[in-house]
Amino acid sequence: MTTITRQDLNFGQVVADILCEFLEVAIHLILYVREVYPSGIFQKRKKYNVPVQMSCHPELNQYIQDTLHCVKPLIEKNDAEKVVVVITDKEHRPVERFVFEISQPPLLSISSDTLLSHVEQLLRAFLLKISVCDAVLINNPPGCSFTVLVHTRDAATRNMEKVQVIKDFPWIVADEQEVHMQEPRLIPLKTMTSDIVKMQLYVEERAQKS
Amino acid sequence: GHTEQANPDQSPAGDKKIILLPCKNPPSRGCVQLWLQARKQYESLQKCGRESRLR
Repeated sequence: MTTITRQDLNFGQVVADILCEFLEVAIHLILYVREVYPSGIFQKRKKYNVPVQMSCHPELNQYIQDTLHCVKPLIEKNDAEKVVVVITDKEHRPVERFVFEISQPPLLSISSDTLLSHVEQLLRAFLLKISVCDAVLINNPPGCSFTVLVHTRDAATRNMEKVQVIKDFPWIVADEQEVHMQEPRLIPLKTMTSDIVKMQLYVEERAQKS
Repeated sequence: GHTEQANPDQSPAGDKKIILLPCKNPPSRGCVQLWLQARKQYESLQKCGRESRLR
């Protein structure tokens, strides 16, 4: 057992790589399960040894990749408190929020050989929960879309600005309409605690969707 | 006396909590539906072409 800090082995980058890879799959799966896009654009793939549905629409895939490319530097510096996939109705009001709450320990005690397989097992459980979450959620109204929100700190946005892609993919501070949901129903989906990251996923669902 | 209340959204350094989102919207469902229809048409045309070459 070795204790290392976040600075050692570029630890933040490793965590960001793992989380962004996971978030990409999770976003595709949420869009499929919640029927934001037609099921015909999704193809069955395997991730962490479980079947998942991934989009084959080039523009949508690029959008998700660009989004996570901008989020990655924030996770790397432990500046992303929450990453939220928001499903919005035709009037752009949120109907559901999939909240990924992330926290990273400042110090690590890891045994490297078991570390990655353990994290993979934990992330697999998240994907399984997402794939069956429609059973506990109310159907969404037709014509929904989605966006991704990041809860961070003002100073942390400087890290995002360093990323080249930001020039073609700018971000803005969300306004009240994009964030606020009246008396949401809270559905906890999964919590994980590992040596490198703690994460919980819950859904906030609007009581009256239509 | 007056005591200043701590704002939970602000760190001691005044680093305010914010929520960010991309300016750009993802492709609309309608757009994606059109793409899907066009792809299906293209695939069926390719299939027809292959079958006619085999005959």
